[in-house]
Amino acid sequence: MIELIQVSKSFDGKKNVTALQGIDLQIARGEMTAIIGPSGSGKSTLLNLIGGLDRPTAGEIHIDGQTLSKLSDDDLTRVRRDKIGFIFQFFNLLPSLTCLENVSLPLHLRGWTKAKAHERARELLELVQLDQRLEHLPDELSGGERQRVAIARALSVYPPILLADEPTGNLDTQTGGEILKLIRDVHERMQATVLVVTHDMTVAGSCARTISLRDGRIVEDRRR
Amino acid sequence: MRLISLLSLPYLRKHKLRSALTAAGIVLGVSLFVGMHIANRTVLAAFQQTVDRIAGKAQLQVLAGDTGFPEEVLEKVQSHPGVAVAVPVIEAVVATGLAGQGNLLVLGVDMTGDQSLRDYDLEGENEDVVPDPLVFLAQPDSLIVSRRFAERNGFSINSRVPLDTMVGRKQFTVRGVMGGEGLASSYGGSLAVMDIYAAQMVFGRGRMFDRIDIGVKDGYSVEQCQSELEKLLGQGLQVETPSSRGKHFESISAALSFSINITSVFALLIGVFIIYNSFSIAVTQRRAEIGVLRALGATRGQVLALFLGESAMFGLIGSALGLAAGRLMARGLTMFMSTMVVQVYGVNQQPEELAAAPWLMALALGIGVLSSIAGGLLPARAAASVDPVRALQKGKYQVLTAGENRLRRMLAVALLAAALGALAFGESNAAFYASYIVMVLALLLFTPALALWLARALRPLWRLLRPVEGALASDSLIQAPRRTSATVAALMLSLAMAVGFAGVADSSYDGVMKWMRSTLNFDLIVTTSENLAERSFRFPASMAQEIEAVDGVEEAQPVIIGRTMIRGRPAMLVAAPVARVAKRIRVQAVEGDVEQMTRLTAEGKGAIVSDSLARIEGLKLGDMLEIASPSGMVRLPVVGRTVDYTDQRGSVLIDRSVYVRNWKDDVAGIFRVYLKPGASVEAVRQQLIDKFGQHRRLFVMTSGEMIRYIIRITDQWFGLTYMQLAVAVLVAILGIINNLTVSILDRRRELGVLQAVGGLRGQIRRTIWMEALSIGAIGVILGLALGAVMLYYNFAMVRRDIVGLQLEYMFPVRFAALMLPVMLAAAFVASLWPAESAVRTSLVEALEYE
Repeated sequence: MIELIQVSKSFDGKKNVTALQGIDLQIARGEMTAIIGPSGSGKSTLLNLIGGLDRPTAGEIHIDGQTLSKLSDDDLTRVRRDKIGFIFQFFNLLPSLTCLENVSLPLHLRGWTKAKAHERARELLELVQLDQRLEHLPDELSGGERQRVAIARALSVYPPILLADEPTGNLDTQTGGEILKLIRDVHERMQATVLVVTHDMTVAGSCARTISLRDGRIVEDRRR
Repeated sequence: MRLISLLSLPYLRKHKLRSALTAAGIVLGVSLFVGMHIANRTVLAAFQQTVDRIAGKAQLQVLAGDTGFPEEVLEKVQSHPGVAVAVPVIEAVVATGLAGQGNLLVLGVDMTGDQSLRDYDLEGENEDVVPDPLVFLAQPDSLIVSRRFAERNGFSINSRVPLDTMVGRKQFTVRGVMGGEGLASSYGGSLAVMDIYAAQMVFGRGRMFDRIDIGVKDGYSVEQCQSELEKLLGQGLQVETPSSRGKHFESISAALSFSINITSVFALLIGVFIIYNSFSIAVTQRRAEIGVLRALGATRGQVLALFLGESAMFGLIGSALGLAAGRLMARGLTMFMSTMVVQVYGVNQQPEELAAAPWLMALALGIGVLSSIAGGLLPARAAASVDPVRALQKGKYQVLTAGENRLRRMLAVALLAAALGALAFGESNAAFYASYIVMVLALLLFTPALALWLARALRPLWRLLRPVEGALASDSLIQAPRRTSATVAALMLSLAMAVGFAGVADSSYDGVMKWMRSTLNFDLIVTTSENLAERSFRFPASMAQEIEAVDGVEEAQPVIIGRTMIRGRPAMLVAAPVARVAKRIRVQAVEGDVEQMTRLTAEGKGAIVSDSLARIEGLKLGDMLEIASPSGMVRLPVVGRTVDYTDQRGSVLIDRSVYVRNWKDDVAGIFRVYLKPGASVEAVRQQLIDKFGQHRRLFVMTSGEMIRYIIRITDQWFGLTYMQLAVAVLVAILGIINNLTVSILDRRRELGVLQAVGGLRGQIRRTIWMEALSIGAIGVILGLALGAVMLYYNFAMVRRDIVGLQLEYMFPVRFAALMLPVMLAAAFVASLWPAESAVRTSLVEALEYE
């Protein structure tokens, strides 16, 4: 269960920019939600705050009853490590690691043995249909394949929450469709709560709930 | 230029620390180059200035090394029709006994004729002070002092000045004060003039002169007069212009200059390497920017010019800062070198103004800029060849491909073979130095492969210590060989350079210690000065019997040591009672039978040369040695070659009887004193001081004190080497800091990903620390290995070009053992800030970092 209470976020710079203002939001366990809105509406900022990558300027965020703003950096990292899987628009794979190593990285960070971590990584790469590319470097893969590796990595600890920031934004329509199908499969198979930030109305259309943002505020919250 | 201000300047402003660290390499290289060369030139100029000012209007000088020549030579010189005026000179550096005044250069001259060559610019002449040279002569305690010296000590006419002379401390009377910027300002103004015959007496010269200064008659050319005088006087005496004496000094101190040049070259080389590394990383990091530029129509040439322009800019800024820092450094270095030149070479000078010639500054600036451009050349070429399509794809990253790695290895093997070939088949200097450079290049090319292998070897150890961080750190190194090898190579090169210097120093100490233990085995040594290189004073040889008459003394061996000319180059002449000395010491022969060489030398039928002189001059057993003496050329065959560290330029040992006969001079510089069994060293020392101290200037040292003194001098000489070591270690540390900072800042996104997928701050921190420690350990291992190879070449270089010494190959084990913790500590400290910066940076920014 994800809950946001009066969450605001502003950035100091030459000019103070308010990215989010007084957001109240609840997302139930197992829900698949799309967050849409024009550029600069605060979509990615909202996702970063929910994912614990950033902290709000005001308000509170609760994940499974834990208040993120009260957690230390390391505790916040533990929440991220145990409960959240990230999928980024630009994949953020480590270029010097093979597919197998990229996927097993979060498991190594949890202290898993190499054999155990690789066994899980193999399973997940098989799930995303990349079992033939285990030893390839990210540079040697297509955009869609890289995003599959990123999804496999996000799933490595079977997280209850999956956050995806423009997962198809860097892919062609066909590949984007395949990735979307994969995310939906994961959602159904693992009963994970999925939040997808997107510009793509096809992606938004495949989610049960759509939240529209404009100028840092929720302007529409629609369920199908 | 427009591109530089548009693209480069904002980039450099954004990465201030990185830019500063990059420029620091050039600053260090240029400042060392400038500091050392200014100091060397200042000391040289100070010596030449002293010579010129003292020489006055003299156009030629007659000399015979340190040994001097008999008075009769003066008459011969004066009889030559081309000589207008010829005046004898004695020079001695004496302690004044005045607090804080140090040494005074005393010139013994014949006042009746000397004023036609030297302008004394005497003040107070109207007061009838020293108007008549005869008055000066009639009073042997007369002294003319410089205005500066008089003012510093509050002296005026008739003041009493205490001087340490050969006959003890004597009071002299100021009878004239010299002003002006000529003679009076030489030797930093610490100058005095006394009558030559008084000087002969108080400095123990007997009936000898050190020099004759000559004014050539109008109508005679200096060259003609010089050549005719050379014929008239024979080969034993040198007839030279005052300006050529600076060249002898340069020749004597050649080892010092060579050492300075080597340090400068290495410092600049490391600077080039730092620039290369920084630019390589910058090119990788700015590939997207390069891609955009290329996509917008920039040609490869423009991209190349952009990066070369940037490196030139770094060179210019770094060199300008280096010039300023070098000038500051030069002050301290000049004092250090001036003292060392006195102590090691016995050449007196008093530097005043820094010799920072504009051309030297311009040269340093040019070298700094060119070095920087050279360092930036390969990365600039890499930038120019960036594929715009690949560069614009986000997430792409250049990694070392297997093909590239194989090519490097093949090239390295080829270069290694070429280096070994040049070493084995090339006798020339060009082949030797080419082999040295190619060998270092080959080993640098092997670095990625070796670093990778070592990183893999270290992995299990790290995993044992910290399973998660150890594996992550090792994998990061293994998976990014280009990044790892760049840092490792910089560390390796500077450490190898340090090992190269330390090994030579260790081996030299070892050689000197062995020589001292076998040669300086007397119980006491009686000398005329605390400084063994200072040879202003001499004892009469008859003093040997007086010493032997002291209770407890078994034997006193009179020895004279003085600089002479061998084959036109300065070398040290040692005249000793060889038969007696040979019974006491263990000669370390390099070539020849010890018993035979000492017998022939003792009989005056040969000379023993030091191994260093034999190597420098290519002397073999049986070769005829010609030694200039006042009686003409002394010809003696080389009968033996031994290890001898009396002088850097090498030495020749002849029997004392040969010296007395040919130099017509029965004096001694030192006495080697052996005691009867059971005699107390301290009691005999006291007796010697009591017996001679009242009326002679003498110092009595034990063998241990003498050895400690020589070690102190050796320490001073190696002070320069320690400075080289310090620079090498500093550069290594700077290299680690630079590369780690750049490398970790460059990996912000990667480290951000690690944190995003669950890496705790502590884990990230420890991972970076372990990476840095791994780099340190790998760099140290490879640095010590490359150092061992460079050491081989350095020993050959010492043998071939520096001092002709055959040093034993000795790996500096203690230094290596010290370097491991120092470098690991440096690597760890260098990683602290980047690690903190990595874990404290905003994750969102880090993930978007490009």
